[in-house]
Amino acid sequence: MDSLRLGSYTFSSRLILGTGKFSSASAMIEAVRASGTQLVTVALRRFNREQLEDDLFGPLSEIEGLTLMPNTSGAATAREAVKAARISRELSGSPFIKVEIHPNPHHLMPDPIETYEACKILAAEGFIVMPYIPADPVLAKRLEEVGCSSVMPLGSAIGSGQGLSTAEMVKLIIRESNIPVIVDAGLRSPSEACAAMEMGCEAVLVNSAVAVARNPAAMASAFAKAVEAGFEARNAGLMPRSGAAVATSPLTSFLGAAS
Amino acid sequence: MSTIVITLNGERKNVPAGASVADLLNTVGAESQNVAVVVNENIVRPDARASVLLQENDQVEILVFAGGG
Repeated sequence: MDSLRLGSYTFSSRLILGTGKFSSASAMIEAVRASGTQLVTVALRRFNREQLEDDLFGPLSEIEGLTLMPNTSGAATAREAVKAARISRELSGSPFIKVEIHPNPHHLMPDPIETYEACKILAAEGFIVMPYIPADPVLAKRLEEVGCSSVMPLGSAIGSGQGLSTAEMVKLIIRESNIPVIVDAGLRSPSEACAAMEMGCEAVLVNSAVAVARNPAAMASAFAKAVEAGFEARNAGLMPRSGAAVATSPLTSFLGAAS
Repeated sequence: MSTIVITLNGERKNVPAGASVADLLNTVGAESQNVAVVVNENIVRPDARASVLLQENDQVEILVFAGGG
């Protein structure tokens, strides 16, 4: 079984799960377990003694084989993202960092210029850099050149559930990339995750679709199966499209033949 | 006992003069939590928390990992 390689790490699961927006820490943990994921995102927040249940480090560290990928959410500039990354590495002990820099809370679109600057610095500092980016093949290539371990183009706006609206651009990124391409953000259904894998993504990152499902653990399991199915299908080789019908049964006309 | 004023997670807070970062974590109930501590932009590692003393006007952030995508 091919594994996902990110930096010096390998993962058998190709589903990365976000931990935000769950109704409770226990619902989140249950979904993480059901998904079989080995890589989850977390975010830095100020400590509040009234909300100790918000601290997910303890519960997540009890799950065997799980690696944390802190994000830099909240950062609007490269400088802030680098600061968040350094603090996060201290706390997580993990070299993974999801660089996420979005200055506008309305659309949450990543700032390509600040993202590029932050990634350059963090890659040089030895982080396994995983930038969340607009689906832009030129930016993706530039990020590969400065040492990112993957690029994570958005499928559609964060939390929007609009699916793979960037599909054609993501295909271009995949075609040009020598590092794993991971669709991050916007996916609503397992079929979209499956489609992303079929088109050549090495993994998908899902959060809202699982977190806000009526049954998050069941949805996490469904996404895991879809990701696996899409990956297997891609490796099996999809049939070519044809403009016209191509018969699957013999068309010899013995039924109408005169005897 | 004399006190100094620091900013903790964006809010002003009085602490005893001579208090260490470890003392502060005890005061706010964070001593047994997995937290990152940043004082004036510098990360204070766990093994240094008892020896780093707070100064007047220090900007202190105590951070945890919460849910995020």
